[in-house]
Amino acid sequence: MDLIANLALGFATALTPMNLLLAFIGCLVGTLIGVLPGVGPIATIAMLMPLTLKVDPTGALIMLAGIYYGAQYGGSTTAILLNIPGEVTAVVTAIDGHEMAKQGRAGTALGIAALGSFFAGTVATLVIAAIGAPLTKLALLFGPAEYFGLMVFGLGLAIVLARGSVLKAVIMVVLGLLLATVGTDLETGQDRLTLGIAELSDGVDFAVLAMGVFGIAEILRNLENPESRHVAVSKIGRLLPSLDELRRSLGPVVRGTGIGSILGILPGNGAVLGPFASYALEKKLSKDPSRFGKGAIEGVAGPESANNAGAQTSFIPLLTLGIPPNAVMALMVGAMTIHGLIPGPQVMIKHPTLFWGMIASMWIGNLFLLIINLPLIGLWVRLLKVPYRLMFTTILLFCAIGIYSINNNPYDVYFTAFFGLAGYVFIKLGLEPAPMLLGFVLGKLMEEKLRQALALSEGSFMTFVERPVAAALLVLAAAVMAIAVLPAVSRSRQKAFQE
Amino acid sequence: MPGKLLRQDVLGGLVVIAVAGFAYWLARQLPAGAAGGMGPGTLPKGLALLLGGLGVVLLLNSFFEKGEGPARWSIRGPLFVLGALVVFGLAVRPLGLVVAGPLAIAAAAFASSEVRWRETLIFGGLMTAFCIGLFKFALGLPIPLAPWLVGY
Repeated sequence: MDLIANLALGFATALTPMNLLLAFIGCLVGTLIGVLPGVGPIATIAMLMPLTLKVDPTGALIMLAGIYYGAQYGGSTTAILLNIPGEVTAVVTAIDGHEMAKQGRAGTALGIAALGSFFAGTVATLVIAAIGAPLTKLALLFGPAEYFGLMVFGLGLAIVLARGSVLKAVIMVVLGLLLATVGTDLETGQDRLTLGIAELSDGVDFAVLAMGVFGIAEILRNLENPESRHVAVSKIGRLLPSLDELRRSLGPVVRGTGIGSILGILPGNGAVLGPFASYALEKKLSKDPSRFGKGAIEGVAGPESANNAGAQTSFIPLLTLGIPPNAVMALMVGAMTIHGLIPGPQVMIKHPTLFWGMIASMWIGNLFLLIINLPLIGLWVRLLKVPYRLMFTTILLFCAIGIYSINNNPYDVYFTAFFGLAGYVFIKLGLEPAPMLLGFVLGKLMEEKLRQALALSEGSFMTFVERPVAAALLVLAAAVMAIAVLPAVSRSRQKAFQE
Repeated sequence: MPGKLLRQDVLGGLVVIAVAGFAYWLARQLPAGAAGGMGPGTLPKGLALLLGGLGVVLLLNSFFEKGEGPARWSIRGPLFVLGALVVFGLAVRPLGLVVAGPLAIAAAAFASSEVRWRETLIFGGLMTAFCIGLFKFALGLPIPLAPWLVGY
């Protein structure tokens, strides 16, 4: 019964007062961020990374993870109350959730979102605990060639799942890969693409890039769109769903959890699909599909559960394989690196308390979300009334201090300003920055693995054909990309993202 | 038609091609490696060529497909927000957080069309004090406070 022993170790770690406090702060800050429009979890994690410099790596990751799923939760709060989905994944929640709010059932929508998320979080925690160990063993069997294949597959999936045109997503991934080559060459030590700037010889810092293209660019975009948020809902209503509503929600919650958990494990940001898939499924299964879009509680319960389950299981590729499936997980890589940890199968073996402590903290974090959020909804609503002119200057100052503190280097602040400008240009050109970030993070790993693989095979590219697993993964990646370009699929893909 | 030339994807294609060209030019002297092994220049050059090719596709595509029209660009927001970051970066080492914080907030406040002097000054002071308490004293980060006054 390794699983139980491991979970016991995890809970012993996560339940220390310090780690409990960090999980609590993480959830609270995360929810705050999720509620405030215009500050996504990516910018927040980048901004608050320096806060974790003084704590041990376990505590740091527990807090950052708390910010992540707290933000997911806060995003659904604004989706329901204001019809402003803070996150892409809350788009679906806004459809029926905001309808419910207009009918005076905002409290019930928030309540079922919280309960569904808690259930999903509990199951997802168990899924991670159960799958973590076997996947790690599998990962240890992977050589550089297999890793390379897996990462190409992950990037292929990320391209297919990105919003907007496939061509633009490919462009952004390649741009990310290109940015990753900036800095000293691994083998020869030559400077590459550094423009002779000494600060760039270690490469572009991930936090700097993320903060620029997400945090700063987001501020610039918000400044252009005059404020249009007002809390239309005067009455929250009762929080606890009625027995009948609970009965209706049970199926959607269970199915949503299943869908979300499975999609979240996929490398390449499968988690974003969870809420969409769950909503479509519930609509299909419903006896009266016309209720959807008019305040059906199933349309909140299912997608919210799928969202939370996916958010959590997307830690699996990161913790077991060392491959971040989305931009937030990519930031986690950054946070781990700051603390001297290399993500991958070794984490579980060399740092079992960190691995299992983090998993246990996810369950505790979900409990916190349930406890702190429902009573605090009134406070979150009031926060929405803070004028943006005060908010963005504060965010900017935090960003500046945070970025400076990572390396104590003013150059990082200048680079952030540069990438902020780049991010603004991307927005104007309709280029989504998320695939670039993923390409950037995987790029460094991919080049390393590619060159290792070629060194092992004495320079022969045949190694990717001769090794069955590597070959299969590369073929899969090609297949996924090819399918996405097929006219029929690309049309339905566009439709899926429009809904 | 001048409007057509400014369309989102036309501009996007041109920007992508320019970035790719710049990267290739930067990598021009890096050895690309022989057929067997990979040199330091292999990936930068290869990726730059790939990116340039994709940019050309995006550009050509835009002539056949109806894309989005030209976006509206603003200058005020980017100028002052990015300016605030640069000001912070310049001021933080010699002058410390005590000066850099309010300066950055004041510069950033100009980015919004509704500048309120008194509010900005009071708010900037309060936020800086809060940040000093949090980052300098609670977290003990080595960010300079006011080197000209207290020596650190």
